[in-house]
Amino acid sequence: MLDSFLSGLAVVFEPINLLILTSAVFIGFIGGALPGISGVILVVILLPVTYGMEPTQAFMLLTAIYGSTVFSGLITAILYRAPGTPEAVMTSFDGYPMTQQGEAGKALGIGILSSAIGGLVGTIALIVCTPLLASVALKFSSPEYFALAILGLTVVSSLGGRLILGLIGAAMGLFIATVGIDPLTGVSRYTFNNLNLSEGIGLIPVIVGLFAVSEVMKRSLGGEAHQPLTRVKVKIFDMPILRRIGVTLSRSSLLGVIIGILPGIGASTAAMVSYSETVRWSKHPEQFGKGAPEGIAAPESANNAAAMGALVPLFALGIPGSGTTAIILGAFIMHGLQPGPLFMVSSADLIYAVFAGLFVVNFMILAFSKPFIALFTRLLNVPYSVLGPIIIMCCIVGTYSVSNSMFDVWLMLGFGVIGYLLEKINFPTVSIILGLVLGPIAESELRRTLAMSQGDLSILMDRPISATLLVISVILLIAAIIVPLRKRARAKAAVSQH
Amino acid sequence: MFDTRNVKPHLKSYLLAGSAGLALVWGAAAMAEEAADFPSGPLQFLVAAGAGGGTDNFARTVKPMLEEALDTRVTVINLPSASGALAHQRTANSDPDGHTLDFASSTLVTSLAAGQNPTGLDQLTPVARMQSDVMTLIVDPEKYADFDAFKAHVEENPGDVIIGGTHAASPDRMAFLSLRDASGLDMNFIPYDEEGSVAANVMGGNIDGLFGEISSVLSYMESGEMMPILVFAEERLPNFPDIPTTVENGWDLTDGNERGIFVNAETPDAIVDRLETALKEVYDSEQYQQYEEKVNLHYREGWLGSEDYRQKLEENYELYKRLLENS
Repeated sequence: MLDSFLSGLAVVFEPINLLILTSAVFIGFIGGALPGISGVILVVILLPVTYGMEPTQAFMLLTAIYGSTVFSGLITAILYRAPGTPEAVMTSFDGYPMTQQGEAGKALGIGILSSAIGGLVGTIALIVCTPLLASVALKFSSPEYFALAILGLTVVSSLGGRLILGLIGAAMGLFIATVGIDPLTGVSRYTFNNLNLSEGIGLIPVIVGLFAVSEVMKRSLGGEAHQPLTRVKVKIFDMPILRRIGVTLSRSSLLGVIIGILPGIGASTAAMVSYSETVRWSKHPEQFGKGAPEGIAAPESANNAAAMGALVPLFALGIPGSGTTAIILGAFIMHGLQPGPLFMVSSADLIYAVFAGLFVVNFMILAFSKPFIALFTRLLNVPYSVLGPIIIMCCIVGTYSVSNSMFDVWLMLGFGVIGYLLEKINFPTVSIILGLVLGPIAESELRRTLAMSQGDLSILMDRPISATLLVISVILLIAAIIVPLRKRARAKAAVSQH
Repeated sequence: MFDTRNVKPHLKSYLLAGSAGLALVWGAAAMAEEAADFPSGPLQFLVAAGAGGGTDNFARTVKPMLEEALDTRVTVINLPSASGALAHQRTANSDPDGHTLDFASSTLVTSLAAGQNPTGLDQLTPVARMQSDVMTLIVDPEKYADFDAFKAHVEENPGDVIIGGTHAASPDRMAFLSLRDASGLDMNFIPYDEEGSVAANVMGGNIDGLFGEISSVLSYMESGEMMPILVFAEERLPNFPDIPTTVENGWDLTDGNERGIFVNAETPDAIVDRLETALKEVYDSEQYQQYEEKVNLHYREGWLGSEDYRQKLEENYELYKRLLENS
């Protein structure tokens, strides 16, 4: 394995391949930073270009773009609260408050370092134990997915003290997720005979609307005087910070890898779950959402680790773990390769070259991110009357490009207005995204579970993984309700004693 | 130009009728002309599926070849929403000049039969079918060595066997329904969101089998993790002589996923013919045949001309409709 990896590295260090990787990282940076343009779209656009290339180079290019888009979504999430990719939604939760406090450079530095570390952990897991991890993925079936989605939904309890609003938001997200043709029976739900609604409401219009558009509206309508940030100094290696987020980084990276390898559960879910775990383990949960460094480190290390993890079932089993990997799978077939259980053996040279490429890409991200971000931070000095419309324009183009649909654009603008109104009452909008991402998984996997067991719910407790996950979720939920109550009781007792 | 506002009402209607008649004559003349200098501008491919999938690859492979055959330019637009129903609808609403082509798979008919696609064969004209894949029943060979073992198990344990597939109106569900209908085997179906999840569940032993194309499981056959045990075909495939067929079991099922090209139903016949000829030229080219071989679509003849394809689609529609009503 080490031999294969080293010979892969030798391939990567050929000048032409380094050039390919460098350009891939830059393309990924730009695409990932623009709201709405996600890795999926970039890979699709470049797919025809790769047909003329040698397979090794083609897949180094595609996977490197894939890796770097997941990274660069954090830039706009932190600077403008406009997550460049769905994976970066959680990052804006603590990153943007830091920008508002004038600490954009610090936030970006944490984000870059966490991404690179998460990416490296993911890549090493990919190189060392792909076949082993793939067998874990096969242990997961509908009951386990359902339990995992439930665990993910308990995140609501860690989104700060507004538990009731969080629950309402999650319920809204779950409701939005029911729109469209029911995948199991083919019945139309809330589609009002409108074909545009039959596929359901996509994640991109909702995220772009609720976050980016609502923020532009807030700043434009609020008449908030723009304070030019003359200089944003990005510091990547900051020892005190690193010491503080070290534990978070290791836990979130590992969680990211494990969640990433599960087919159909993406990097967005990984970011959400690891964020909530970080809040749960933190000694100062009240700092989250107000600019806690761990709040950036957790989702950024997890989503990059998960992106690499999603490649595990692709290479080991020929099963895509996410939307982008599904397209890369199609590209393998177009190049006449046969992804599947023997792929690691039959195309070892290609795969290890791709692995080595991804390994190098993580260092390239560290090296190139500073000059690239300088470009974006300079934009902060542009008056908001100019910058705001540009952000809206990017949102419109990006949303349209997802499925060439004007309907999605109107939907996105509609969610912008909703997001603006919700912001006014300090609503935790991120809980809506939570429901929207996890709702379809929870619903259809529960129904599949029941189809598997012919209606017997005990299957959930008979299978060890799903039983464990469900028990943990229940304990966490009860704790979320009891702990604040006890705290309040204790505080009351303390007051009455005095 | 004169102003019609000052013309008396009856005169106005004469004028209208006259110009309408003139338009008709012009129209007829234009029709013959249109076919002669078709295409008069760039073409648009509406792909009724997402980027990167089989139908998208098909459209993007045909694109440069058709550009050359018709000496024009082509833009490809993916309209994956609503299982491609938007692409069909937009094609039916486009100018009937043959410049908007709908690249669709069998999902067009299956979703039509399930009532999820409002654009029927009265609004679209099939130009040609270019791909015809072979549907197969795929299982884990460690669980079921061959189709006889599978059949025996289902007969002994009715309702116990679970087949996985993609959504409820998909070609693989139709294959499931038609096999259950023809054979009387009592099996259940669970739809998943992606083909990948179905395969993972079969390999993980959570479900018993799936319906799919041979090309998608070639490497699993080599490693012994999944194996097709029944092909939907008249005769055994030359490349896989050991796998029995539906027809030899006495069931007249020869289905598979098909991919073809559609235009607005009002497109003049001359233009449809012109397109069909150009596509046939593409189909017969060595370059296209190489592509079919590379993606393992060469197990059986893909080509069907406009008329034959329409007949096939109508038969399938009737069959699917009946199967869905009985399911």
